[in-house]
Amino acid sequence: MAELQKVETVGIPALEGKYIGEMDIWPFECQEFNRLYPFFDNLRAGKFTTTKCKKCGHIGFPPGVICTKCWSDELEWVELPQRAKVVTLTETQAGAPAGFPSPLILAWLTFGEKSPLKHLLGRIVNCKEGELKEGDEVQFVVFDVPSHPIEVKKETKVCDRVFYAFEPVKK
Amino acid sequence: MAEKKKAVIVGGGTSKFGVRQAHLLDMVQEAMKACSDDIPALKPMDIDGLIIATTMAGRHSSALNTAPLVVHRLGLSPTSICIRLDTLCAGSNSAIIVAKGLIESGISEVVLVTGAEKVYMPQRWETNFTQLAVNDHDWDSAMGLGVPPPFFAMIAKMHMKRYGTTKEQMAHISVTNYNYGTDSPNAHFGGRSLTMEEALNARIIADPFGLYDCCPLSDGASAVIIASEERAKELTDRPLVYLRGTGQHATHSMSSGWPGDTLAEWPHLKKAREVAFKNAKLTPKDIDVAQTHDCFTISEVIELEELGFCKKGEGGAFAASGAINMGGEIPTNTDGGLLVYGHPFGASGARQAIEILKQLQGRALHQVKDASFGLTHNLSGTCAQHTVVVYGKEPVK
Repeated sequence: MAELQKVETVGIPALEGKYIGEMDIWPFECQEFNRLYPFFDNLRAGKFTTTKCKKCGHIGFPPGVICTKCWSDELEWVELPQRAKVVTLTETQAGAPAGFPSPLILAWLTFGEKSPLKHLLGRIVNCKEGELKEGDEVQFVVFDVPSHPIEVKKETKVCDRVFYAFEPVKK
Repeated sequence: MAEKKKAVIVGGGTSKFGVRQAHLLDMVQEAMKACSDDIPALKPMDIDGLIIATTMAGRHSSALNTAPLVVHRLGLSPTSICIRLDTLCAGSNSAIIVAKGLIESGISEVVLVTGAEKVYMPQRWETNFTQLAVNDHDWDSAMGLGVPPPFFAMIAKMHMKRYGTTKEQMAHISVTNYNYGTDSPNAHFGGRSLTMEEALNARIIADPFGLYDCCPLSDGASAVIIASEERAKELTDRPLVYLRGTGQHATHSMSSGWPGDTLAEWPHLKKAREVAFKNAKLTPKDIDVAQTHDCFTISEVIELEELGFCKKGEGGAFAASGAINMGGEIPTNTDGGLLVYGHPFGASGARQAIEILKQLQGRALHQVKDASFGLTHNLSGTCAQHTVVVYGKEPVK
């Protein structure tokens, strides 16, 4: 009968704190991975943007490499409204995705008649449970999220990241 | 042009659904065993096509190229098609549409459609990471939209506000589905019962949903055989059940593309329904029994409306009137639906198909008298895509 050999563990020991959480909750934002990196650069500059088609004028969201109306690839970056109105909302008590706080406040937002972006699901931050009401105005807010390393030839580069959410406008 | 062949659902079965101590492929084998018990004449060599519908196999079972694994574990040797298909919650219903096309075109003769998910693995909390990758990850998911309750809770609030739907009406749906599903031996919550009082006093998951307004995430697998009319007659003596019409409509992947006036209107389901009924040469009035995607009680309310079984806005009152119960206008989710039978995403569509098959053959646990036409419906993602399949005891003429 073969003896059980004691060798150094190969693979990822799941229960010793070395397990890789491969489900990253944030996008890959850097130029190496994403042609939409200007969206995230614009976030860092406090701007909420998307792509507009130079051929047909369509403004889509999320931004893209081609226009979703006419498939032209001649696009330019334009700003979107930073204020929205809460149509309805929900405060999740149980089962918020790992990495997000509970209660997690999510709202269905509208951006007004003239906005090319009609509605969006938005996370509401800087807001206590029970504070937000239907009809309230919220504004765009940008924050840092965890960075990640990438290998560039023999070097390791750190990609800093940001993301956005919405917060109540102080009355 | 030669006359199109006719596609028939021959038989099927499911594994036990629930939080399972079993591997994905164990459950696929269990579903195949149940399917084989349902079609005793069927042998592995009869199957010339395989479609396995799964979303989580790659992430939770390290099984990205799933189809060859299923071939080996089931002893198959397909010659016409061998693929994995993923449309999340509509996986095996989408696969049934594909199988119908393959049969009608003559490419395949006997197709095994199987759906399977193992979600609670390796560690239970990981499911909450994976959920972010089944929505539009970089946009809605990064806003915290993972498991669906918050999104459907907002849909429910909107429907309550616009149409006066009540929590009691929604509770009626979960109580009805528990009454149907309690004696399904393979159901996630088989053997359990639910009263109106328990439903209304359950702990809140996401306002206005209590626990029983939400379906569970389940492990499980299902398997059905779709075959040409000629081959079906060789495989079974039971009355044939034909795939009459199908429709699948997708409009967006994230909230910014939502097609309705508000969250309470689902025009994309209405469109999928219209396409399916046009192909089936039927109308909603013809349908005797339906399996709709009751991932939440409010989903069934809106589906009754958009599928054309009642007027827009009246789904809650229609359900609570007893229309979805046995003897009502449209008995719905007669095996317990997602709420009680459970919801292993890719496996759900085929599970619904099995129930409709049994209903139309007169051998369901809760039999709708003289059922001739049935319908299955799945939505998937954040209500981004709708899939409708219409069945009948007679083919389209």
